Amino acid sequence: MTHRLRLAGLVVSLAILACALFRIALSMPQFGRHPFPYGQAINRLAPAQRHVSNMVSAVTFDYRGFDTLGEEFMLVGAVSGAAILLRGFRGEQPTARPVQIPGRPVPPPSDAVMLIARLIGPLMMLFGLDVVLHATVTPGGGFQGGAVIASGTLLLWIGEGYRGWRSIVRTWWLDVVEGGGALGFALSGLIPLCFGGGFMENMLPYGKFRDMLSGGLMQIENASVALAVAAGFVLLFLEFLEETRAPEDDQQ
Amino acid sequence: MTLLPWLVAGWLLFVGCYGVVTSRHYVHLIGCLSVMQSSTYVLLLAIGFRWGAGPPIFYTHPPGTPAVDPVVQALVLTDIVVGATVTALLLALALQAHKKTGTLDPEAMRPMQR
Repeated sequence: MTHRLRLAGLVVSLAILACALFRIALSMPQFGRHPFPYGQAINRLAPAQRHVSNMVSAVTFDYRGFDTLGEEFMLVGAVSGAAILLRGFRGEQPTARPVQIPGRPVPPPSDAVMLIARLIGPLMMLFGLDVVLHATVTPGGGFQGGAVIASGTLLLWIGEGYRGWRSIVRTWWLDVVEGGGALGFALSGLIPLCFGGGFMENMLPYGKFRDMLSGGLMQIENASVALAVAAGFVLLFLEFLEETRAPEDDQQ
Repeated sequence: MTLLPWLVAGWLLFVGCYGVVTSRHYVHLIGCLSVMQSSTYVLLLAIGFRWGAGPPIFYTHPPGTPAVDPVVQALVLTDIVVGATVTALLLALALQAHKKTGTLDPEAMRPMQR
Protein backbone atom coordinates (compact mmCIF):
# COMPACT_ATOMS: atom_id res chain seq x y z
CA MET A 1 0.00 0.00 0.00
CA THR A 2 1.46 3.34 -0.99
CA HIS A 3 1.77 6.22 1.42
CA ARG A 4 -0.72 8.38 -0.47
CA LEU A 5 -3.35 5.63 -0.64
CA ARG A 6 -3.05 5.04 3.07
CA LEU A 7 -3.45 8.76 3.81
CA ALA A 8 -6.58 8.88 1.60
CA GLY A 9 -8.01 5.91 3.51
CA LEU A 10 -7.28 7.66 6.79
CA VAL A 11 -9.00 10.88 5.68
CA VAL A 12 -12.12 9.01 4.51
CA SER A 13 -12.42 6.89 7.67
CA LEU A 14 -11.73 9.84 9.99
CA ALA A 15 -14.35 11.90 8.15
CA ILE A 16 -16.96 9.18 8.69
CA LEU A 17 -15.92 8.84 12.35
CA ALA A 18 -16.01 12.64 12.79
CA CYS A 19 -19.62 12.80 11.58
CA ALA A 20 -20.62 10.06 14.03
CA LEU A 21 -18.68 11.67 16.90
CA PHE A 22 -20.23 15.10 16.22
CA ARG A 23 -23.71 13.57 16.22
CA ILE A 24 -22.95 11.88 19.58
CA ALA A 25 -21.44 15.08 21.03
CA LEU A 26 -24.66 16.95 20.14
CA SER A 27 -26.80 14.47 22.03
CA MET A 28 -24.51 14.17 25.07
CA PRO A 29 -25.96 15.45 28.36
CA GLN A 30 -25.16 19.09 29.05
CA PHE A 31 -21.57 19.53 30.23
CA GLY A 32 -21.30 20.05 33.99
CA ARG A 33 -25.04 20.11 34.68
CA HIS A 34 -26.20 16.51 34.36
CA PRO A 35 -26.73 14.13 37.30
CA PHE A 36 -24.43 11.14 37.89
CA PRO A 37 -26.40 8.86 40.24
CA TYR A 38 -23.64 6.34 41.00
CA GLY A 39 -21.03 8.95 41.92
CA GLN A 40 -23.56 10.99 43.90
CA ALA A 41 -24.61 7.91 45.86
CA ILE A 42 -20.97 7.17 46.74
CA ASN A 43 -20.35 10.81 47.73
CA ARG A 44 -23.39 10.63 49.99
CA LEU A 45 -22.90 7.17 51.52
CA ALA A 46 -19.15 6.40 51.69
CA PRO A 47 -18.18 8.83 54.50
CA ALA A 48 -20.84 7.29 56.75
CA GLN A 49 -20.47 3.67 55.57
CA ARG A 50 -16.69 3.35 55.36
CA HIS A 51 -15.42 6.29 57.47
CA VAL A 52 -13.13 7.49 54.65
CA SER A 53 -12.86 11.03 53.27
CA ASN A 54 -11.22 10.23 49.89
CA MET A 55 -14.07 9.06 47.66
CA VAL A 56 -11.72 8.10 44.80
CA SER A 57 -9.95 5.61 47.07
CA ALA A 58 -13.31 4.34 48.30
CA VAL A 59 -14.29 3.59 44.69
CA THR A 60 -10.90 2.12 43.74
CA PHE A 61 -10.41 -0.12 46.75
CA ASP A 62 -13.89 -0.82 48.08
CA TYR A 63 -16.95 -0.22 45.93
CA ARG A 64 -15.22 -1.19 42.66
CA GLY A 65 -12.36 -3.14 44.26
CA PHE A 66 -13.02 -6.09 41.97
CA ASP A 67 -12.25 -3.94 38.90
CA THR A 68 -9.04 -2.76 40.53
CA LEU A 69 -8.02 -6.39 41.00
CA GLY A 70 -8.21 -6.81 37.22
CA GLU A 71 -6.22 -3.62 36.65
CA GLU A 72 -3.63 -4.77 39.18
CA PHE A 73 -3.11 -7.98 37.22
CA MET A 74 -2.96 -6.02 33.95
CA LEU A 75 -0.14 -4.01 35.51
CA VAL A 76 1.68 -7.12 36.68
CA GLY A 77 1.14 -8.70 33.25
CA ALA A 78 2.54 -5.70 31.39
CA VAL A 79 5.57 -5.45 33.68
CA SER A 80 6.33 -9.19 33.45
CA GLY A 81 5.85 -9.05 29.67
CA ALA A 82 8.37 -6.23 29.34
CA ALA A 83 10.80 -8.00 31.70
CA ILE A 84 10.52 -11.30 29.80
CA LEU A 85 11.00 -9.59 26.43
CA LEU A 86 14.08 -7.72 27.59
CA ARG A 87 15.60 -10.60 29.56
CA GLY A 88 14.94 -13.15 26.84
CA PHE A 89 17.80 -11.88 24.70
CA ARG A 90 20.44 -11.19 27.27
CA GLY A 91 19.82 -13.84 29.90
CA GLU A 92 18.86 -13.39 33.51
CA GLN A 93 22.37 -12.86 34.83
CA PRO A 94 22.48 -9.28 36.06
CA THR A 95 25.76 -7.45 36.32
CA ALA A 96 26.41 -4.30 38.26
CA ARG A 97 29.07 -3.27 35.74
CA PRO A 98 28.24 -0.14 33.72
CA VAL A 99 28.92 -0.14 29.97
CA GLN A 100 32.31 0.97 28.76
CA ILE A 101 32.50 2.08 25.16
CA PRO A 102 36.17 2.07 24.06
CA GLY A 103 37.56 5.56 23.62
CA ARG A 104 34.73 7.23 25.49
CA PRO A 105 35.43 7.76 29.20
CA VAL A 106 32.47 7.81 31.62
CA PRO A 107 32.66 11.08 33.51
CA PRO A 108 31.60 10.96 37.17
CA PRO A 109 28.42 12.92 37.90
CA SER A 110 29.10 16.51 38.81
CA ASP A 111 28.98 17.56 42.46
CA ALA A 112 25.96 19.78 41.87
CA VAL A 113 23.95 16.96 40.26
CA MET A 114 24.91 14.52 43.00
CA LEU A 115 24.01 17.02 45.73
CA ILE A 116 20.60 17.80 44.24
CA ALA A 117 19.84 14.13 43.57
CA ARG A 118 20.86 13.13 47.09
CA LEU A 119 18.77 15.90 48.60
CA ILE A 120 15.65 15.46 46.46
CA GLY A 121 15.70 11.67 45.89
CA PRO A 122 15.07 10.58 49.50
CA LEU A 123 12.66 13.48 50.02
CA MET A 124 10.71 12.37 46.96
CA MET A 125 10.48 8.79 48.24
CA LEU A 126 9.35 10.11 51.63
CA PHE A 127 6.69 12.18 49.87
CA GLY A 128 5.61 9.08 47.95
CA LEU A 129 5.27 7.20 51.23
CA ASP A 130 3.18 10.06 52.61
CA VAL A 131 0.90 9.92 49.55
CA VAL A 132 0.53 6.13 50.01
CA LEU A 133 -0.21 6.27 53.72
CA HIS A 134 -2.90 8.95 53.47
CA ALA A 135 -4.78 7.17 50.69
CA THR A 136 -8.13 7.12 52.46
CA VAL A 137 -7.88 10.66 53.84
CA THR A 138 -6.38 13.13 51.35
CA PRO A 139 -5.74 12.98 47.57
CA GLY A 140 -3.41 10.13 46.71
CA GLY A 141 -3.17 6.39 47.12
CA GLY A 142 -1.14 3.36 46.24
CA PHE A 143 -1.08 3.95 42.49
CA GLN A 144 0.12 7.56 42.66
CA GLY A 145 2.42 7.09 45.66
CA GLY A 146 4.01 3.98 44.16
CA ALA A 147 4.85 5.90 40.98
CA VAL A 148 6.35 8.75 43.05
CA ILE A 149 8.52 6.32 45.07
CA ALA A 150 9.77 4.66 41.88
CA SER A 151 10.63 8.06 40.38
CA GLY A 152 12.64 8.82 43.52
CA THR A 153 14.86 5.79 42.88
CA LEU A 154 15.56 7.11 39.35
CA LEU A 155 16.93 10.29 40.94
CA LEU A 156 19.34 8.08 42.90
CA TRP A 157 20.50 6.63 39.56
CA ILE A 158 21.15 10.14 38.24
CA GLY A 159 23.09 11.06 41.38
CA GLU A 160 25.00 7.86 42.16
CA GLY A 161 25.54 6.46 38.68
CA TYR A 162 24.70 2.97 37.48
CA ARG A 163 27.03 1.11 39.83
CA GLY A 164 25.74 2.84 42.96
CA TRP A 165 22.15 2.46 41.85
CA ARG A 166 22.53 -1.26 41.22
CA SER A 167 23.96 -1.78 44.70
CA ILE A 168 20.73 -0.28 46.12
CA VAL A 169 18.25 -1.88 43.72
CA ARG A 170 18.26 -5.68 43.53
CA THR A 171 16.31 -7.71 41.00
CA TRP A 172 15.18 -10.74 43.00
CA TRP A 173 13.93 -8.45 45.74
CA LEU A 174 11.89 -6.45 43.21
CA ASP A 175 10.39 -9.60 41.70
CA VAL A 176 9.23 -10.72 45.15
CA VAL A 177 7.69 -7.33 46.02
CA GLU A 178 6.01 -7.00 42.62
CA GLY A 179 4.41 -10.43 42.80
CA GLY A 180 3.74 -10.10 46.53
CA GLY A 181 1.78 -6.90 45.98
CA ALA A 182 -0.51 -8.61 43.48
CA LEU A 183 -0.83 -11.62 45.77
CA GLY A 184 -1.71 -9.36 48.70
CA PHE A 185 -4.50 -7.75 46.70
CA ALA A 186 -5.87 -11.12 45.62
CA LEU A 187 -5.69 -12.45 49.19
CA SER A 188 -7.49 -9.42 50.59
CA GLY A 189 -10.32 -10.46 48.28
CA LEU A 190 -10.17 -14.17 49.13
CA ILE A 191 -9.59 -14.13 52.90
CA PRO A 192 -13.02 -12.60 53.73
CA LEU A 193 -14.52 -15.67 51.99
CA CYS A 194 -12.95 -17.89 54.69
CA PHE A 195 -14.80 -15.94 57.36
CA GLY A 196 -18.21 -16.22 55.74
CA GLY A 197 -18.16 -12.85 53.98
CA GLY A 198 -18.41 -11.96 50.31
CA PHE A 199 -15.45 -11.54 47.97
CA MET A 200 -13.47 -8.48 49.12
CA GLU A 201 -16.04 -7.72 51.80
CA ASN A 202 -14.70 -5.07 54.14
CA MET A 203 -14.83 -6.91 57.49
CA LEU A 204 -12.07 -5.03 59.33
CA PRO A 205 -12.89 -2.17 61.71
CA TYR A 206 -13.35 1.04 59.73
CA GLY A 207 -11.56 3.36 62.14
CA LYS A 208 -12.25 7.05 62.69
CA PHE A 209 -13.32 9.47 59.93
CA ARG A 210 -10.38 11.65 58.69
CA ASP A 211 -7.90 9.32 60.41
CA MET A 212 -4.87 7.90 58.55
CA LEU A 213 -5.85 4.32 59.49
CA SER A 214 -9.51 4.56 58.45
CA GLY A 215 -11.04 2.32 55.80
CA GLY A 216 -10.42 -1.19 57.15
CA LEU A 217 -9.55 -3.58 54.33
CA MET A 218 -8.80 -0.64 52.03
CA GLN A 219 -5.55 -0.09 53.92
CA ILE A 220 -4.28 -3.57 53.04
CA GLU A 221 -5.34 -3.29 49.39
CA ASN A 222 -3.77 0.16 49.17
CA ALA A 223 -0.47 -1.06 50.62
CA SER A 224 -0.31 -4.02 48.24
CA VAL A 225 -1.08 -1.78 45.24
CA ALA A 226 1.67 0.62 46.37
CA LEU A 227 4.18 -2.26 46.64
CA ALA A 228 3.23 -3.68 43.23
CA VAL A 229 3.31 -0.30 41.45
CA ALA A 230 6.58 0.91 43.02
CA ALA A 231 8.36 -2.42 42.43
CA GLY A 232 6.91 -2.71 38.92
CA PHE A 233 8.16 0.70 37.83
CA VAL A 234 11.61 0.20 39.40
CA LEU A 235 11.79 -3.21 37.68
CA LEU A 236 11.00 -1.55 34.34
CA PHE A 237 13.67 1.13 34.89
CA LEU A 238 16.15 -1.60 35.82
CA GLU A 239 15.38 -3.74 32.77
CA PHE A 240 15.67 -0.79 30.39
CA LEU A 241 18.93 0.38 32.00
CA GLU A 242 20.32 -3.16 31.76
CA GLU A 243 19.76 -2.85 28.01
CA THR A 244 22.59 -0.31 27.81
CA ARG A 245 25.12 -3.09 28.56
CA ALA A 246 27.40 -4.18 25.77
CA PRO A 247 26.56 -7.65 24.29
CA GLU A 248 29.95 -9.13 25.28
CA ASP A 249 28.99 -8.69 28.94
CA ASP A 250 26.33 -11.37 28.58
CA GLN A 251 27.09 -14.74 30.04
CA GLN A 252 25.43 -17.11 27.62
CA MET B 1 -19.04 25.84 25.24
CA THR B 2 -20.90 22.69 26.25
CA LEU B 3 -19.59 20.91 23.16
CA LEU B 4 -15.95 21.85 23.76
CA PRO B 5 -14.85 18.91 26.04
CA TRP B 6 -16.27 16.28 23.69
CA LEU B 7 -14.66 17.97 20.68
CA VAL B 8 -11.29 18.16 22.48
CA ALA B 9 -11.49 14.43 23.23
CA GLY B 10 -12.34 13.68 19.58
CA TRP B 11 -9.56 15.97 18.33
CA LEU B 12 -6.96 14.21 20.51
CA LEU B 13 -8.16 10.85 19.16
CA PHE B 14 -7.88 12.06 15.54
CA VAL B 15 -4.46 13.69 15.96
CA GLY B 16 -3.12 10.52 17.60
CA CYS B 17 -4.64 8.34 14.88
CA TYR B 18 -3.08 10.51 12.15
CA GLY B 19 0.28 10.15 13.90
CA VAL B 20 -0.06 6.37 14.14
CA VAL B 21 -0.94 5.97 10.47
CA THR B 22 1.78 8.28 9.10
CA SER B 23 4.47 7.29 11.62
CA ARG B 24 7.92 6.34 10.33
CA HIS B 25 9.38 5.37 13.71
CA TYR B 26 8.05 2.97 16.35
CA VAL B 27 8.92 5.18 19.33
CA HIS B 28 7.01 8.03 17.67
CA LEU B 29 4.13 5.62 17.04
CA ILE B 30 4.00 4.63 20.72
CA GLY B 31 3.92 8.33 21.66
CA CYS B 32 0.98 8.84 19.28
CA LEU B 33 -0.80 5.89 20.89
CA SER B 34 -0.42 7.65 24.27
CA VAL B 35 -2.00 10.79 22.73
CA MET B 36 -4.96 8.67 21.55
CA GLN B 37 -5.24 7.19 25.02
CA SER B 38 -5.26 10.62 26.68
CA SER B 39 -8.45 11.43 24.77
CA THR B 40 -10.19 8.92 27.04
CA TYR B 41 -8.94 10.83 30.11
CA VAL B 42 -10.43 14.08 28.77
CA LEU B 43 -13.70 12.33 27.96
CA LEU B 44 -14.01 10.62 31.36
CA LEU B 45 -13.09 13.68 33.42
CA ALA B 46 -15.47 15.84 31.35
CA ILE B 47 -18.29 13.36 32.01
CA GLY B 48 -17.68 13.55 35.77
CA PHE B 49 -17.38 17.35 35.89
CA ARG B 50 -20.02 19.47 37.55
CA TRP B 51 -20.21 23.27 37.77
CA GLY B 52 -19.65 24.66 41.27
CA ALA B 53 -18.61 21.30 42.77
CA GLY B 54 -15.42 20.61 44.70
CA PRO B 55 -13.12 17.58 44.66
CA PRO B 56 -14.63 14.30 45.94
CA ILE B 57 -12.42 14.44 49.03
CA PHE B 58 -14.23 15.51 52.18
CA TYR B 59 -11.26 16.48 54.31
CA THR B 60 -11.53 20.27 54.51
CA HIS B 61 -15.17 20.57 53.47
CA PRO B 62 -17.76 18.37 55.19
CA PRO B 63 -19.53 15.43 53.50
CA GLY B 64 -22.66 16.55 51.74
CA THR B 65 -21.12 19.52 49.90
CA PRO B 66 -21.35 19.18 46.10
CA ALA B 67 -18.48 17.17 44.64
CA VAL B 68 -17.59 15.87 41.18
CA ASP B 69 -17.99 12.22 40.19
CA PRO B 70 -15.37 10.02 41.97
CA VAL B 71 -16.08 6.94 39.80
CA VAL B 72 -14.60 8.36 36.59
CA GLN B 73 -11.63 9.76 38.53
CA ALA B 74 -10.86 6.29 39.86
CA LEU B 75 -11.06 4.95 36.30
CA VAL B 76 -8.63 7.60 34.99
CA LEU B 77 -6.26 7.02 37.90
CA THR B 78 -5.80 3.31 37.27
CA ASP B 79 -5.83 3.90 33.51
CA ILE B 80 -2.81 6.23 33.72
CA VAL B 81 -0.69 3.80 35.76
CA VAL B 82 -1.61 0.75 33.66
CA GLY B 83 -1.12 2.82 30.48
CA ALA B 84 2.41 3.73 31.56
CA THR B 85 3.38 0.08 32.05
CA VAL B 86 1.78 -0.93 28.74
CA THR B 87 3.82 1.81 27.06
CA ALA B 88 6.92 0.28 28.64
CA LEU B 89 5.90 -3.14 27.25
CA LEU B 90 5.51 -1.64 23.75
CA LEU B 91 8.89 0.09 24.03
CA ALA B 92 10.45 -3.25 25.01
CA LEU B 93 8.89 -4.78 21.87
CA ALA B 94 10.30 -1.93 19.77
CA LEU B 95 13.73 -2.47 21.32
CA GLN B 96 13.70 -6.17 20.41
CA ALA B 97 12.44 -5.40 16.90
CA HIS B 98 15.35 -3.01 16.46
CA LYS B 99 17.80 -5.68 17.64
CA LYS B 100 16.41 -8.21 15.16
CA THR B 101 15.93 -6.05 12.07
CA GLY B 102 18.17 -3.05 12.70
CA THR B 103 15.41 -0.57 11.94
CA LEU B 104 12.45 0.99 13.70
CA ASP B 105 10.65 2.13 10.54
CA PRO B 106 7.32 0.29 10.19
CA GLU B 107 7.55 0.74 6.40
CA ALA B 108 10.89 -1.00 6.22
CA MET B 109 9.77 -3.85 8.45
CA ARG B 110 7.80 -6.56 6.69
CA PRO B 111 6.34 -8.83 9.37
CA MET B 112 5.89 -11.92 7.20
CA GLN B 113 9.17 -11.55 5.31
CA ARG B 114 12.02 -13.81 6.21
